[in-house]
Amino acid sequence: MKPSPLMMAVRWLVLVVAALVLNFPIISTLITSLKSDSEIASSASLIIQQPTLENYRAIFAMSDRFDMLHYLANSFISAGFGAVLSIVLAFPAAYAMVRFGTGERWLLPIVTNLRAIPLIIFSIPLYLIYQQVHLLDTRFGLGLILCLINLPLVLILIANALRDMPKEIEEAARVDGLGTMAILTRVVFPLAKPALASSLILSFIYSWNEFLFGLMLTTRAAVPVTVGASFFFSASGGDVRWGIAAAVMIVGTLPPLFVGLAAYKHIGRSMMAGAVKG
Amino acid sequence: MQAADRRDSIVLIAPVTAFLLVMLALPLAIDLLYSVSQVSFENLRAPTLQGFGNFLKVLHDGAFWSAMGFSLRFALVTAVAELLLGLFLAIFLAPILARWSFLIAIFLLPMMVAPALVGLMYRLILHEFVGVLPYYFVLWTGDSPAFLDPQNAFWTLAVIEVLQWTPFALLILYSSYGAIPGEIREAAAVDGIRALAQLRYIDFPWMMPTILLTFFIRFIDSFRVFDNVYVLTGSGAGGSTTTISIYIYEAFFKQNDIGQAVAASIVLLLLSFVVLVVLLRFARARR
Repeated sequence: MKPSPLMMAVRWLVLVVAALVLNFPIISTLITSLKSDSEIASSASLIIQQPTLENYRAIFAMSDRFDMLHYLANSFISAGFGAVLSIVLAFPAAYAMVRFGTGERWLLPIVTNLRAIPLIIFSIPLYLIYQQVHLLDTRFGLGLILCLINLPLVLILIANALRDMPKEIEEAARVDGLGTMAILTRVVFPLAKPALASSLILSFIYSWNEFLFGLMLTTRAAVPVTVGASFFFSASGGDVRWGIAAAVMIVGTLPPLFVGLAAYKHIGRSMMAGAVKG
Repeated sequence: MQAADRRDSIVLIAPVTAFLLVMLALPLAIDLLYSVSQVSFENLRAPTLQGFGNFLKVLHDGAFWSAMGFSLRFALVTAVAELLLGLFLAIFLAPILARWSFLIAIFLLPMMVAPALVGLMYRLILHEFVGVLPYYFVLWTGDSPAFLDPQNAFWTLAVIEVLQWTPFALLILYSSYGAIPGEIREAAAVDGIRALAQLRYIDFPWMMPTILLTFFIRFIDSFRVFDNVYVLTGSGAGGSTTTISIYIYEAFFKQNDIGQAVAASIVLLLLSFVVLVVLLRFARARR
């Protein structure tokens, strides 16, 4: 089929409209975050008369009432911990499943099907357990849950990557007298790095964006950004400073957005692979 | 497999197994026990068994069924809408995306934002005084609907969900569309088949497994929706936007009714199993 110029123009138009509409919340919030209070009060239009970074400065000036840096640190630490732990647990297990078939029949289905089960089902017992062992409102405790949430995807991604890896290199290493553990750390690990990296990034993004368990299991010390941002609204009662609120949401969105865009090629592929094969 | 390999492989899967036993099996056991017990914060360690009272309470609770109904309707409507929109965009934009693949990044963006933050963003966007949408509605039509009122809340929330997750359907379906072998297309072109017939007889049948999969994934995810709905309307809008996840959350945190919350969880778990079994049957039949 010859592409007619008119048809191509229509396609471009649809693409631009779709891109704007689908990204509308981010665009609109970004615009509001760059407006001054008086401008927000006078007009809600999408055009900024006098852009200002005042709202971003203001977030960090109000740390006595609303400690954004603290929330950001909590998210970084618990999401980072959860993401790393999910890889640490899944990588050896995926290797044992793919190469030795251990647990492939029972463990793999349990973990992958976990994706279809709303985890809120386990939230109440987990809350009560956390209460007993004093893990409520800790980054460590939240990180453990984030790991649980990401295990299915991470395990699928790593298992797929290991399946596609040639067996011959490992067999050669074995002939050279290396044991399973040495092969795993010195031969398989370097080869699997790309897959591990994209799993880690995806796991981090999903962990950062988690809300439900953050809401349930943290109250002050370990509150992540997603929950902290919602505090901004409740804390200010009826008198929300909308410019600052918008800046808070943009700041809270930037880390996953940045990581995601930097690695979009790998992530896009992994996201789809995880979805299709899961 | 040699004995040494066997030992090694058990060592390799031991950590994840232990983790799942603590984080999944133990909570499940507690769920099951508490669901048939009389339990409160005072007797957590020694609940009294009482049979199926909690379940009866849940099943007789009108709020439970309306939450269930909301979640089902929400999941169905959004999954279908995302599928149709995603399918259209994937096929219509394929010639552009195939040449300028970096444009795909634009469609990854919405999925990178936390649904909770998206919900909060809409609190601003839909706000009657400072919100962008009411501003332009008033400017162009002279009036603005109350987006989060009980009669509009369902559709407002559904549109928000669809806008965030249509890119997911778009990207999955685009890669499936791109995987249709060139020879099939060329053969069809040689036969002089029209574009619409090509879609109907070649592209759609080829993509059907992916189409169904996309629908299931989106249905499951939207069925348990919590974040964006909770931050936008909570159980507000006259309780009309209580999803099943919000129902369980509130039974526990607002009403402190552990037994009821846990029984509702078990019912949800059973339902999820039913969906899962249907899904797996389906996947097997396709293979």
